Amino acid sequence: MKPVLVIGLGNPLMGDEGVGCHVAERLSADPRLPDRVEVMSGGTDLLRHADRMERASRVIVIDAIADKAEPGTVTVFGDAPAVLENRQEDAHTLSAVQAIQLLRMTLAAPITLLGISITRAGFGPGLSPRLAARMPAIVDRVLGELR
Amino acid sequence: MSKVVIDHLARVEGHGGITVELEGDTVGSVQFDVFEGARLLEPLVRGKRYDEVAPVLSRICSICSAAHTLTSLKATENAFGVRVSPQTDLLRELMFRGESIESHALHLFLLAAPDYLNYPSAIALSADKPAVVMLGLRLKKLGNMIQETIGGRAVHPVNAVPGGFGRAPAIEQLIELRSALMQGVADSDAAMDVMASLPPAEFCHYDTVYAALRTPSLDSYYAGDEVMVVSDGSRAIVHATDYKTLSNERAVPHSHAKHSAFRDKPFMVGALARLTVNPRRVTGKLAVAKKRLKLQLPADNPMDNNKAQALELINDVERALEIIEQLLRAGVKDEPPVPIQPRAATGTAITEAPRGLLIHSYTYDAGGRITAADVITPTAFNAASMELHFRKAVEQSAERDDATLSRKLQMIARAYDPCISCSVHLLRRK
Repeated sequence: MKPVLVIGLGNPLMGDEGVGCHVAERLSADPRLPDRVEVMSGGTDLLRHADRMERASRVIVIDAIADKAEPGTVTVFGDAPAVLENRQEDAHTLSAVQAIQLLRMTLAAPITLLGISITRAGFGPGLSPRLAARMPAIVDRVLGELR
Repeated sequence: MSKVVIDHLARVEGHGGITVELEGDTVGSVQFDVFEGARLLEPLVRGKRYDEVAPVLSRICSICSAAHTLTSLKATENAFGVRVSPQTDLLRELMFRGESIESHALHLFLLAAPDYLNYPSAIALSADKPAVVMLGLRLKKLGNMIQETIGGRAVHPVNAVPGGFGRAPAIEQLIELRSALMQGVADSDAAMDVMASLPPAEFCHYDTVYAALRTPSLDSYYAGDEVMVVSDGSRAIVHATDYKTLSNERAVPHSHAKHSAFRDKPFMVGALARLTVNPRRVTGKLAVAKKRLKLQLPADNPMDNNKAQALELINDVERALEIIEQLLRAGVKDEPPVPIQPRAATGTAITEAPRGLLIHSYTYDAGGRITAADVITPTAFNAASMELHFRKAVEQSAERDDATLSRKLQMIARAYDPCISCSVHLLRRK
């Protein structure tokens, strides 16, 4: 049976923006993780992992989201992340939203986007104390999505 | 006075924006804010042991993680006087080719092509021209495959270590890569058809200074320790150990990136600079492609960097195939990495990342721990040149309305393929 693939996006050198990577790290070490789930830290370019995604039955993408919600809030965007900006201004790579839309042209597996609210991204390793304190709850929420 | 502001070229708010001030017909200040986190990295690696440095610094960028990893290893090896095996040199060059294929494919077909064809995004373009987007995705995948086969995983390669590789690729893997690259030859030809069909982009013309790695074989992203600067027909050489004469950086208040200049002139790095510095690379299929795209070297139009990337795409696929043939002929040996003997020393490495010159320079103590580190990315080198070209584009534009200027400046910014956002990746709610 094809595995479920969880990809945490973000750059761990950019503070809270790297939350997806931190979640992936915690998740892979969590004994509650179901057997058929594979977890990877995906950097900032989701398209790179098209191959791995082709071999999965379902894909869950975790990324930071800048909104007005309490930091650490997890929002499930499902199939149509229409409330997220789809701008092309990013000079260098595609946003997760754009990448997911493109990947849907070629992938059969359903893709779910989990957005984790953060207030700011800035240079520096590690998470802000506020977001770090929310990590256990975030991991619980992601595990809930996997059950 | 009026002001044209283009923000959000990057996903970090307040960074990557372009601001142009106009006083009547006169162009006042032109500012490009670059968030350039690489400058702030030293504290992260200070005190780290020589084998812990590359994995941290590869995180600077997901698109250029192979270049950062291999440049980091080269700087460390230069510090300790380590010479890696010819097989390692070939495998590293192959990784660079993979990264270049992937990066150029992403940039040309998913980011630049929609601009040229007046689509707001690759998604919108895919509705009308799915073949262009699929071509980009296929070539990007090919580039990933090369990096993953050699580097051990697609992002932040773990198999490349000081002194060589953890394990060599299996013959079967190389044979599989060769078949994928054969398809890549057809795709890079198709890429040329797409590039030749794009409308011209003549936003500014200005004599440009170019700087790129001077490579012993004229065609390497990795080998070599000298930079050649081409300006007004004259050529100057800067050795790696003197890199600060190139990056004699000037801090500017509006940008994290200090501005680089050579003999007081901003310079451009990247694909166009590489072809200008090593013009003898342009032979065979590349020469035909150059003619077809009407590319003149040295160019006076920064948009020509897109054409140069298309030429490199063809060359990268060809060169990757040659390297694989060479490896298959010689037989791939499972050789252990060259042993490292740390010493107190400084090592500097210059390479060509997909978007231009990349420098890592480290000072180690006798125990092999970092006491000082300096990383200069292509976008930091390019920042001053970008501002210059923005200014010239505004000065040379007959129409000065916001929409026209925004489109021109954004397309010039994109042609530089800047890395202002490479270290971040953030979604925003509408």
